[in-house]
Amino acid sequence: MTEKVIVSNKGLVRADFNFWVGKYMDKFYDGLEQKKIVGNKCSKCGDVFCPPRSVCGKCNENLPLDQNWVDLPESGTLQNYTITPYKVTDRRTRKVKDPQLIAMVQIDGSNTAIVNRLLNITPDEIKIGMKVKVDWSEKTTGAPSDINGFVKV
Amino acid sequence: MGRQVAIVSAGFSEHSSKRSDVNMPELVNEAIINCLKKVPSLGLKDIDAFVTGNMPAFEGANMPELWSTDWMGARNKPLMRVTTGGTTGGSVAIAGYYHVTAGLPGIDTVLAIAYEQQSQGDTSVGLASTAYGEISILNTLGIDYDSLSRILSAGAAIGVAAYQATNYMSKARITEEDLARVVVHNRRNAAKNWWAHLKMPDLTIEEVLDTPYVQYPLRYGMLCPASDGACAMLFTTEEKAKDMCDIPVYVNGVASVANESAVLGYDGSGSAQTDPSAQIGAMRSSELAYSQAGISFPRKEIDYAEVYAPFPNQELMWLEKLGLFEETTAPEMYKNGTTALDGDLPVNCSGGVNSTNAIGASAMERPAVAALQIMGKADNQVPKTVHTSIGHGWGGSLNLCTLMVMSDEQKRKWR
Repeated sequence: MTEKVIVSNKGLVRADFNFWVGKYMDKFYDGLEQKKIVGNKCSKCGDVFCPPRSVCGKCNENLPLDQNWVDLPESGTLQNYTITPYKVTDRRTRKVKDPQLIAMVQIDGSNTAIVNRLLNITPDEIKIGMKVKVDWSEKTTGAPSDINGFVKV
Repeated sequence: MGRQVAIVSAGFSEHSSKRSDVNMPELVNEAIINCLKKVPSLGLKDIDAFVTGNMPAFEGANMPELWSTDWMGARNKPLMRVTTGGTTGGSVAIAGYYHVTAGLPGIDTVLAIAYEQQSQGDTSVGLASTAYGEISILNTLGIDYDSLSRILSAGAAIGVAAYQATNYMSKARITEEDLARVVVHNRRNAAKNWWAHLKMPDLTIEEVLDTPYVQYPLRYGMLCPASDGACAMLFTTEEKAKDMCDIPVYVNGVASVANESAVLGYDGSGSAQTDPSAQIGAMRSSELAYSQAGISFPRKEIDYAEVYAPFPNQELMWLEKLGLFEETTAPEMYKNGTTALDGDLPVNCSGGVNSTNAIGASAMERPAVAALQIMGKADNQVPKTVHTSIGHGWGGSLNLCTLMVMSDEQKRKWR
């Protein structure tokens, strides 16, 4: 059978998505606006979640919204990392001059890790277990962009 | 061969147009807490397996079952997602039943969870993703988009329902007033149900008829809302059920049937196009489920019905197709009070899908409410004793139906 193209569809779809972060993440973002990192704690196993959450999956415990909030420091431990020669926000563009470093950082006093960029650290210096701290954006707005990334302590 | 299965509890989250106070897993968690609260002897640790489902892509979240794992209590336990369009909730409930009846070692108690957070994401895009799926099928038939737009049903779900409505109205010789009466019935019932979305205790037929047409013969006031909400049901074995609650509800028959292939607006290979209110799939699903449950005279043996009707004409149509009323007589039953809370065959006392429609959850909320009516724990409980009830779901582009027949007696005809 010969190949015959009958249909060639071209189209543009616009999709407006809203996402509700919920009351727990609201508190987290409120904290960021004041350049503070907050988490919450499971009263049963003592695990501290950063970002905070309403349920501890390990214990099947609901963490009440008005209890067990923990103020966490802005320092943390680098648990894992990767290095990419492409721009993180736009992989289609050409390679960047300096490699981008992305890391999972466990904020001190928490049992979870958050992912962000490493700033002013060279690939030679990077090491699992190294101490890093938050680099705050100059003007905070209560959004993920309040954290520029992590820098060496 | 196949264990007898019982429902021991069902729970709901609060439903509204925007549950912006919770994210998706938190919404799911609410329904689970409400469900388990009714079974004090049971905790999340006692659940052996989980089945969950929502509409594909509506919230724009891929694999939400993995995101929600901790919030469902499913960590390190068997977990399965089922998603079948409008009947998702019904399919999830049936999958919960299958899990238990299968008799797998170590799987006795199963939590089934269905939900939708329509305010999150973009429902039109979600629906479009479904429609695009069908457009792809039409493309393979050599039909291009421009030709398609001439034959495609107008406006998503209402486009399908409008054909069913005009067809049914001409068969039953009824007017829009009869449709409005069904809406009033539902919205007034919803006012007595804490988790319902559109609660209108004083709604009148005139008020419904005073709203503009969205698509003839359906007016704005007749349409279901788009809701955020979740529902959970607990299935277990007959032995365990006796320890968990006073009145276990036995699942005696289930069915999930599409009677023909039907691509939205074009490839109806059977009656769905020529006679949109024929609904042979519904008739077939009721035949199957009733025969499993040993029901020969549905009108006499069924005490309560929850049918899936986002649009009022569908409620009339389903009640007839599921064998509860003679053809074209359903509108009369709404006039003479047969379907009212204190009537002979109460229907949709929760307010139905017409009052609350968190799509993925809707087809599960039907059997959930029907089961609670047997337990005597429903929120708008009927005064008479309910022994046998049905919960129905509808979805797909035209004709997929799910049905669950429940009773306070173990009447399943096969073992």
